Amino acid sequence: MERIIATKISKKFKIGFKKHQSFLARLISLFSGKEPQKEIWALKDVSFSINNGEIVGIVGPNGSGKSTLLRIISGIYKPEKGEVRTNGKIISLINLDVGLQSRLTMKDNIFLCCSLFDLGREDIKDRLESIAQFAELENFIDTKIYQFSNGMLQRLAFSIAIHCNPEILILDEVFEVGDESFRKKSAKKIKELVKKGASVLLVTHNPYFVRKYCKRVIKLESGKIQ
Amino acid sequence: MDFIERTKRFFGLSFSLANAGFKLRNEGSYLGILWYLLNPVLMFLLLFLIFRDRLGNEIPYYALYLLLGIIMFNFFQDVTLESTKCVREYSGIIKSIRFPGESIVGSVVLKRAFAHIFEVILFTLVLFFIKGSIYGILFYPLIFILFCFFTFGVSLILSSFVVFFVDLDNIWAFFVRLLWLATPIFYSIGGQVRLYVFNLFNPMHYFINLSREIIIYNHLPELWILVGAMFYAILAFFIGIYAFNKLKNKFAEMI
Repeated sequence: MERIIATKISKKFKIGFKKHQSFLARLISLFSGKEPQKEIWALKDVSFSINNGEIVGIVGPNGSGKSTLLRIISGIYKPEKGEVRTNGKIISLINLDVGLQSRLTMKDNIFLCCSLFDLGREDIKDRLESIAQFAELENFIDTKIYQFSNGMLQRLAFSIAIHCNPEILILDEVFEVGDESFRKKSAKKIKELVKKGASVLLVTHNPYFVRKYCKRVIKLESGKIQ
Repeated sequence: MDFIERTKRFFGLSFSLANAGFKLRNEGSYLGILWYLLNPVLMFLLLFLIFRDRLGNEIPYYALYLLLGIIMFNFFQDVTLESTKCVREYSGIIKSIRFPGESIVGSVVLKRAFAHIFEVILFTLVLFFIKGSIYGILFYPLIFILFCFFTFGVSLILSSFVVFFVDLDNIWAFFVRLLWLATPIFYSIGGQVRLYVFNLFNPMHYFINLSREIIIYNHLPELWILVGAMFYAILAFFIGIYAFNKLKNKFAEMI
């Protein structure tokens, strides 16, 4: 079964203009004329498909369109051209942000983030302990997370993501922080999910991780597949 | 996903976001409710002391008339002002996760509705002390649901437009202040024709008037007031849903 089918997707961004224009500035620009806009194609005619049970790596230099591609697959951005069809529940972990709020306790954050990933309150209660255990943060359940280190936040975010029944797991530079033992534990968990039929799309700058775990690799450069 | 599932998800997520928002604002303490109550109470005392002698004789049950107007307008003001900020506040999540964005605005309404319960309890106490009869308040939940539809609709419009007009929050704050003065909250329209005509186009006038007629004066409201309130609630709700859905795909790119 194909989990993701991307057909000729292209995405452009307008740059070089004041995107946060005020009402007054927009009113004036009606008379003075708009300033010239520059367009940049972040992705151009990107096509691929991913089956269930696959871990696919996306690699490429900064600015090559990796995060844009993940956001389009997640449904956060809309492509200018082409289409993406997905089959399964998408859980995206982009820039380690699953909606963690620094002034809330870890417990409140788990409730909030799992709700964003469409989990009911009862389901969240059932998984609360398991999430904290996997993240190795059982002793910090009532601690406000502004006191957490980056590694602790990464563990929490990843643990939340894998406990929300992902069928398509989208991970953006998740393993760039954190220690080796947690990386191994996460990789093991990813393999378990994949065995159950999930697909994983992984953006990473870590060549070891790509070689060891990814079945296929999509190499992006200047918005195109190389 | 069918309509029921989507509605269930909308309320579930709105509730979670409201809960988180409430804890963030009050650092987990319910004492924060006091801050919500302090504003209407102080404003009520101030306006009551100033206008009681001048307007209190013309308007029956002036204290109740004033307090109900204040708490209803404050609800609308607080929700709409916060909705001009909420999309930017949640920009991190909007850029990382696909979820029903309307829930952010829904959470603002729910969070403020929770505080409104305490304002209504306060009003009910005053109603009991002044009138002795409080049965009119039993109809308030029905009016409030209609009022919530209206406020939610306006908030959806504001929260989606503010992404494209960054100073909309300032413009709206100014507009709401004007609306506060133009709506008969601490005065009555009386025979002022211009004010009367203006308020035909002022949705707040319909909701506040409807509540006063039923709760304070125990009258059946005139049909045009009831129809006006329903008309504005439905209109704002559908325009809000339409505008938000049309523009939400651009949010992640613009914020």
